[in-house]
This record gives sequence, structure tokens and C-alpha cells, in this order.
Amino acid sequence: MKGVRIDPLEFEVFKHLFVAIAEEMGVTLCRTGFSPNIKERLDYSCAVYDGSGATIAQGDHLPVHLGAMPLSVRAAIDAMPMRSGDMVVLNDPYRGGTHLPDITLVAPVFIGRDATPAFYVANRAHHSDVGGMSPGSMPLARELFQEGLIIPPVKLVDRGRVVDDVMRVVLANVRTPVEREGDLTAQIAANRVGEARLRSAVSRYGRGRVSAYAGALQDYTERVMRATVRQIPDGRYTFSDALDDDGFGRERVRIEVAVTIDGDRAEVDFAGSDPQTTGGVNANFAITLSAVLYVFRCLVPDDVLYNAGIARVVTVRAPEGTIVNARRPAAVAAGNVEASQRITDTVLGALARALPGVVPAASQGTMNNVTLGGRWPGDGRPFAYYETLAGGMGGRPGLRGLDAVHTHMTNTRNTPVEALEHAVPVRVRQYAVRRGSGGAGRFEGGDGLVREYEALVPTSVTVLSERRTLRPWGAQGGEAGASGRNVRVAVDGTETVLGGKASFELAPGERLRIETPGGGGWGR
Amino acid sequence: MLRVGVDTGGTFTDFVLLDSPGVRLHKVRSTPDDPSRAILEGLRDLLGGRTPGGVVHGSTVATNAVLERRGATVALVATAGFEDVLTIGRQARRELYNFDVTAAAPLVDRQRVWGLRERLAPTGEVLEPLDLGSLEGLAARAAASGAEAVAVCLLHSYANPAHERAVADALAARGLLVVASCDVLPEYREFERWSTTVASAYVTPLMTRYLEALERRLGIASLEIMQSNGGTVTARAARRNAVQTILSGPAGGALGAWHVAAEAGIGRAIGFDMGGTSTDVTLLDGGPGTTSETVVGDVPVRLPMIDIHTVGAGGGSLAAVDAGGALRVGPQSAGADPGPACYGRGDRFTVTDANLLLGRLDAATFLGGRMALDPARARAAARPLADALGSSIEEVAAAVVRVANASMERAIRVVSVERGHDPRGFALVAFGGAGGMHAADLAAALDVDTVLVPRLAGVLSALGMLMADVTRDGVQTVLTGTGPGGHAAAAETAARLETRLRAELAADGAPPEAIVAERAADVRYRGQSFELTVPLTPGLADAFDRAHAQRYGYADPAREKELVNVRVRARVPARRPAWPRAAAVEHRPEPRHTSPAFFDGRVRDTAHFVMEHLRPGARGDGAAVIAGEASTTVVPPGWGWRVDEWGNLVLTRAGRRTRHASRRGGR
Repeated sequence: MKGVRIDPLEFEVFKHLFVAIAEEMGVTLCRTGFSPNIKERLDYSCAVYDGSGATIAQGDHLPVHLGAMPLSVRAAIDAMPMRSGDMVVLNDPYRGGTHLPDITLVAPVFIGRDATPAFYVANRAHHSDVGGMSPGSMPLARELFQEGLIIPPVKLVDRGRVVDDVMRVVLANVRTPVEREGDLTAQIAANRVGEARLRSAVSRYGRGRVSAYAGALQDYTERVMRATVRQIPDGRYTFSDALDDDGFGRERVRIEVAVTIDGDRAEVDFAGSDPQTTGGVNANFAITLSAVLYVFRCLVPDDVLYNAGIARVVTVRAPEGTIVNARRPAAVAAGNVEASQRITDTVLGALARALPGVVPAASQGTMNNVTLGGRWPGDGRPFAYYETLAGGMGGRPGLRGLDAVHTHMTNTRNTPVEALEHAVPVRVRQYAVRRGSGGAGRFEGGDGLVREYEALVPTSVTVLSERRTLRPWGAQGGEAGASGRNVRVAVDGTETVLGGKASFELAPGERLRIETPGGGGWGR
Repeated sequence: MLRVGVDTGGTFTDFVLLDSPGVRLHKVRSTPDDPSRAILEGLRDLLGGRTPGGVVHGSTVATNAVLERRGATVALVATAGFEDVLTIGRQARRELYNFDVTAAAPLVDRQRVWGLRERLAPTGEVLEPLDLGSLEGLAARAAASGAEAVAVCLLHSYANPAHERAVADALAARGLLVVASCDVLPEYREFERWSTTVASAYVTPLMTRYLEALERRLGIASLEIMQSNGGTVTARAARRNAVQTILSGPAGGALGAWHVAAEAGIGRAIGFDMGGTSTDVTLLDGGPGTTSETVVGDVPVRLPMIDIHTVGAGGGSLAAVDAGGALRVGPQSAGADPGPACYGRGDRFTVTDANLLLGRLDAATFLGGRMALDPARARAAARPLADALGSSIEEVAAAVVRVANASMERAIRVVSVERGHDPRGFALVAFGGAGGMHAADLAAALDVDTVLVPRLAGVLSALGMLMADVTRDGVQTVLTGTGPGGHAAAAETAARLETRLRAELAADGAPPEAIVAERAADVRYRGQSFELTVPLTPGLADAFDRAHAQRYGYADPAREKELVNVRVRARVPARRPAWPRAAAVEHRPEPRHTSPAFFDGRVRDTAHFVMEHLRPGARGDGAAVIAGEASTTVVPPGWGWRVDEWGNLVLTRAGRRTRHASRRGGR
């Protein structure tokens, strides 16, 4: 911005300003959301963008949304001109989305009589049902069309008014429309809060200064990132890891990576990775980008603002049509939650060769997605519920891995047992640390956990999980963590071990026990 | 009757004596190894041989026990299969981008967690009965384990306390100290309820010993203890539920700020308590608000407490330049030792050093002249930062103050804007050692026109304790609708709660006719997880819609609502004596001296005054620095100041009429 002198002494003031806006949006979304997934598990992200759609600040919400959210904003900008008071909704994984349950709402912020937006605000929330072949919309599907309602970028709010036609189409395609409408209303409210706070910042500091400092904050993050990359020894570091299976019989879906460090730049190339598969473990480019940016963000020692500055330092190449950059209409439900974790493991494995004293052993490497659906006894109201389960964290140089905690690309909280049993006709029989599941080593891997559900009514269940056959690897001589187990327990107590990806019906009294993987150990 | 408020802080123990019509203050050094020593010493100094009619005490014993992990050895009895609830917590890590992130260890050792076969449904229905025969063995095991207190936490006990009570009775019969979750917090969400219950078991033995010893040594009839909810209880009641006292110090400060503001005719204020290492901010809208979402150290404690937002920035916060070349302030702090560089021991630059170099602190009169400040040492500490940033020392100092203000401003926005309140209608009540130095700049940033620095800023917590009502809170989850049927059911629950609370207060010696009770309801739209608290009346549904619109920007009156919890507060209003007040004779006193100070990058002649020398009616214009015994107030250019009839310092932005003209006898 012309004429504005950037004072390095004032960065911190503006950093507080932008972070506070993203956080305040998050508070609104959490407090007014309706589905347990938003209000208890905090499965959402909020961020503020500049007029070109580049991130200024993103709240510390979910890493898997890091690289993906700006692509949503880009898709909305490319799709249509937006006027003041408009909001664009989307979830199409091939037009700015990641997987269908993640619905993103983008709003432009106009200042004065400007013809183009000075800023954008956006928030993304995981909805616990968007239709498709199974309740909870995390199915074992063969193509995107089975996974739920696909929303290309369209206006949900037009000059401040909700577009009823669009809302009705959305609500007609989901199993729990009342909850969906409530969650979408909360998302609209969150963007309005962001917009109002940006306007008041501009009226206080002037548009020129706010924009100039937004740019300066991105430059600043870039400088910190470059300084961090410069500390990594130059070289080309390779690693390979794999997904257990795609749920349709194809096993060991490989991800290959070469990380090249050259001075203060990094290139991450996934050439050689396997072609996309039938089942929904495919990642689109947004997910791969998020995973890589997450890993590099973790290398930065300081508490810097996450924004577009990070992406300027790291180039990501992912060949189209592969597991790390799938083409329409590949199914993607588990790409966001499972492939994202494996991509992270793979990049970390490569960097462990460059930075053996920094990078931890593999963590559980899955989110253990459980979806439950059916009808309430009595009034027959449908229910659809989704949650993910924590597991073991890998051992770190100098520290044991943490037990029963979400790692890497997610940080959603659990739903309290007492809240879960209020929300759906399911009983939790056990919720415990899975002792002895962490890998041995000088610094042990953390333990996974055990959660056992009992169906009270006929219940459709889908489990999407990983590291059921391949184990989370140890680092620098540490042992691998235990792989996870999904077990179906019949009413008479007979146990059947299920695959990592399974879709089935539980009869009343039948149980599902998920044992999540332990982390790998570090050092011998 | 002689009443004394006593606040035990980290460095000083403060005393306020109300002896109609006078107020007397006193401070002695705290004795952390045994806080009661300082209390006895101070009372002796203050009272000579006289016996006080009552002592109200705010104690940090419970807080420090949790923060420093020095509490009792506790055991936990939990529903079988759920012994790890406290270890797993909410399954989230507390930092996203840090490979070396750590987790908070539960207050109870896993070896002392025992599972018990039993199970309730969310409705309270018994799914698996408790095996009464197994309790004998459990009690024996608990007695042999060395546990000083046992927490009993069973799933869904808020809906049906029968199992927890049976277990608690069996353990108590063995002479064990037992805390049941249905008594501490009958609300759903097991991790938070259990965490609160275990915290209570963890602090109760310590608190009991401390209070028994204190009562014995004081030898007085009436010892009241300040609770985190802003009310007091008798020492006897505090021993039963010590976790209620966990934030009693800051609660006293918030109450003190509120009463000073109310006395001066201010109805809406923001309490701003800036100390050496942290800053507490409280919204005071007709009184302090309450929250049930407090975390103490790493431990969630979900009891109704005065809603105090704390940030880790204060006068002692350290400035540094990070890898990206940006200036950072805090969260590291120089603490009390070595303290800011200008105190003569440390050599790292702090917010206090920055204020000194900008001329906003007077080296000679700081803390009544008891502590000489060393500007040369502060300059030397600023030099490396100035070199790294390519700026002058004064620019660095100004920036450090601006950055510190930015984090304070964010804290104030959290309690105001994020709660749906526009700070512009509020006054800032500044206290704590550094509050007055930053208040005017912050007020300007928030578009606030009035700042009040209480005369008793240095002992505001002790003062607040004297103003607190004897209070009992009760809560019960009901989960019903907001229609007439739901309201009737809730009112019935409220009546039962009220009867119980009144009886408890009466048993502690309160005259029954003096007890007043207020009923409230936690309401949400059906399906939401977070409630807003509104008065329990037949019109509560509309009140909730209005509250939702104010807080979150929208409401949906057609949507079905749920009445989640019933809350009752029973209290005995404290007798609050009128403050001594002097006639304000308007005059403009001569400054002690004038010296240059920096404001907005420019040097301004700044008048220096000593607070204790100023009389009611004194007034002047910024730039000015007014040094007091406990704190220093900075009046920037563009602001005026005056001393009101109560001896408080009131700052007003020039060109704006104060919106808080006093109701009584004011201008």
C-alpha cells in the first residue's frame, strides 16, 4: 500500500488485531452451533483473507484446513462476482472443498464505496450429515456422487438475505435438516462477526494501514519460515509410506515423497505415488498442501501467525490422478481425515533424515472415523452422528509420546459420554487408555485408546480407519506402535475383527469396540 | 462493629479495617510458609488489643495448592470402564504446531483410581445396580491407600445421585473425607464435573487444616471466607467445599472495583487490574458477571465464579525481538525477582522499564519513594533491542508500551465485545501496580471516556471482601422445555434448592429474615450445547431470545428452547457503611515538579504530583503523572484529571462530557 510506512514495532499490535477477529468468529460458531461436531468437538476453522484471497490470519483451529481454506476462497472469487452482504457456500472437493461434510462459507468485506472487496472472511465447519449413501456422510463409497450433496460455489446469502431456494435444496438432501439449518445459521453469524470487526478496525486505523500491515504480517511469516528452512541441511530427502487399503480390496496404497532443501526454499514432490483408488481415501490437492504446510509450520520454533507467508517458501508438486491429487469424480470422504495423516507421516519421515534430533516417530496416523445413524425409538426422528478418536502420539527426542490425544492434522475434542448418550440412542461401554500400545524406545510412543459403543436401536455404522495392518513407525531405532483394531461384539459376546474400513448394521445389544493405534517409539 | 478484610497475596498481605466512620489500611509482608503468621501480625498492628467483630479473608491456599501441585493425596472412584476420563480429558493437545507439546497430568494418581460396577442412563434410570456388597472392600482399599480424600464420580450422577451417595456414605463410615460429584457440580459433561470434584478433594484437606489453625489462633467468633463467586461463607462451610475459594483474591478485587465505581455513581465499568506478571479484566455491568468455565492452571473448575479474564502480561513482562524481526512483549516475565531492569537486579527490558524511559514513572517518587529506580540500567537493557530493530531507545520504549496495550485491549474486548457489550458505554476502573499507567491509553483505544483510579487501589481486594454478601449458590440440571410446563417444573426445583440454601445459611447463623434469594435458568436453543443464563420467570423464553441476539448477533424466537439448569443464589446482603467523603473544593494544585515525557512520539512537559498530597476537588490537565503509594497514574495530553469527594482519581477525555456524572452529590 502506497504511503504507509511499515513500522516493525507495530507488527504485534496488528497481529493481535487479526488473530482476535478469527478467534471471535470461532467463538460465535462454537457457541451457536447445533451439532455436537461443532459445539462439542470444535470441528471448524475461521480465517481472514486479503483482497486477493491470501490468508492474513487463521485461528488455531484445525491444521487440515490450513492450505485448503484459501483454495475455497479462491474458488468462490472465481465463481462469481460478490457484492456487499453476499456469502458463497461450497463443499465441492474439486472446486475449493475437501470432503463433502466440510461446508465453507465465504464473505467479501467491502470498505466504503469500493468496487472490489478489501478483505474476505471465511469459515468451514464439518456437518454431521450431508446426505449420500450412509448416515453421517462418511461412507465407504466408490465415487463422489455417493458421498452426499455436492454444493458448487453458489450464493447462500444475497445482499444480507438468506437465499431460500438454495437453503431448501440443501435441507432437502440431508438426514437432519433442523440441525443443518442451525449450523448454517451459526456459520452465517460467524462471518458477520468477522466482517463487523474488520470494518471497525478499518475505521479505527484507516484502510491503508490495515491493508499494509496485513501484507507485512504475511512477509513476516515468510521471513520466519525462510530462516527456519535455512537451518535444515541442503539435500534431497526421500521417504515412502502407505495406506493400509482403500476398503475395496486394494492394499498398500503408496505415497512417495522427495523433499529438497535448497537454501531458504523447500520443494516437496510426490512423484511416484500410487494412482487414485476406488475407495474414498483419495486426497485432493488442497489436503496434500495442508499436510505439507502443517509439517513446515511445526518446524518454526516461534509462535508465528499462520498465513500465506508459509506457502511462499514451500513448493508442493503432486501429479494429477494420484492418491495425493485425485481427479473428479474420485471418492474423497477419507482423504481429508486419513490420507492427510499419511501424507504428514511421509513428509515427516523424509525430514527425519535431515533433522533426526527434531522429528518425532510416527503418531497413530489415523482419525478413527466413526459414524452412527438410525431412527429414534418412538417418534422415528432420524439421527446421524460422527466422531473421531484420538490415539498414541509418537515418541519425541527427549519426551515420551502423549497418550490418547489427537495428533497432526486434527485436534477435535471428544464428545463427552454424557452428552453423546443424550444426543443419540447409543451407550458407551468403555472409554479408556489402551495400555501397552505405544512402541518401545528410548522415548516410548504414547498409548492409543479404547472406545466401545453399544447400539440401543438398529444402527447403521461406518468406520473409516487406518494403521490397522501397517503400524506407526518408530524413529531412530525405536519400535513401531501397535496397529489399531476394530472389533464387533455380538450379543452373546462373540468377537469378530473387522477391516479398517467397514460399513454394517448393529442390532440392539451388539457392540463395536475401537482400539486406536499407539505411537512409534523414538531412539533405541 | 469492627470488621476487617484480609487479602493474602504473593508479596503482601493487605488489611482494610472498617470502623464507622473510618477506613484504615495496612500492609505487611506475606509469610508464604504459613500465611496465618502475617495475618496475626497485621491484625495486631491494626487493632492493638481490640478484638474484631468479624474478619473476611481471601485465601490463596487453594489456588496455590493447584498451581504448585501441593495438594492432598487423593483417590477417585469412577464408573468401571471410565477410569481414564481425567487422563484423556477432551483428547485434544493444547498446542497445534509443537512437536514437544506436553499434557496436564490429572491431580489424582492413576494407581488410586478405582472402577466400580454400576451404570445409570442419561435419565437417571438404573441400568446396572450398584453392588452394595462391594463397597466394604472398596472402603478398606481406600483407607489403606494413604489417600487423604476420595472423589466419587459416576456417570450421569447429576440425573440421579443415589449411587454416588451410597458410595460416599460407605467411605465416610470408614472416617474418610469424601467429595461426591453430585454435590460439587450436578451438571452433565463428565470430564469437567469430575475434574472439578477431584480438585475439590485435592484442596479440601489443606484448606481445612489452614482454616482450623487460623480460627484457633484468631480466637474470634466470625471468620468468613471469600469465595470465587463473589460471596462469602463461614469458615466452617468453606472447609466443606474448599474448591469454591479457589479464585477468592481476584474475586475480591472485582468486587472492590465494583463498589468503588458504584459509590462514585458509575453503573457500568470494566475492572482492569494490571500487576507485575498478569492482568485481570472483569466486566462490571450492574455488578460482576459470573461464568462456569474457569480453568485454574491446567485444571478445569466449572463452578460459578466471577468472570475474570486473565492475560499473561503485566509490568514485568519481558520485551524481545524474535526470529522474524518483530518486537514481542511477554509472556515471559521478570517476576518479582529479578524484576524490571530499573529495579537494579535484572538486565532485561520490561514494560515498567519502558514506562520509566518514557518519563511516565518518576524515579524519585515510585511507590512513595520506597524504591529507587535506575534509568541508566533500563537504558542499557533497551540497547540490544534498539540495535536489533534499528530504532532509538525511546522508539523501542514507546513500542513496548503499545504492544503491551494491544494485548490488554484484546483482553478487554474478550470480556466486552465478545460478550455483546460495547465498551464505549463503560468506565475503566484501573488498579494493580501498573493499571493507572496504561489505563488512559487503553481507554482512548476503546473509545472509553472515563477512567477511575480508586484511592484504595492498592488494597482493593481486601476492601471488596468487606463488601461481599454471605452467599450460597445451588445448581441443578433439569433439561426441560421453556413453556409453562417446563417453567413450572423448574420453579419447583428452584423452590427446593432455595429451601435447602436458606436452611444452610440459617444453620451458619444467618438471620432467616435477612436472606434474599434469586432464581435463574440456563437456556439454549434445543440442540445447542452452550447456555445463556436468564432470570427464572414465565417470560424467560423471550429474555433468552434477547440475550442471544445481544451476545451472538441473532435470535430465532420460533426455534424450540431448552431449559437446562436451574440456578439459585441465596445471600445475606452485607452492611456496607457509607464511605467517608470530603467536600470537594475545586482548585488547581501546583505540581511537585515538571519534567519531559514522551507521548505519541513527542516530548511534552509533564506535571508530577503525589497522590497522597492531593485533596478532593484538585484538578488539572494532562500531560501529568500522579504517583501514589501503591501505583502510578499517567494522564496523557488530551485528558483531564480530578480528585473526587471519595479521594478517587477520575480521568476524563477532554472535549467529552463524562457519561458517568455521579448520581449523588456529584457534578
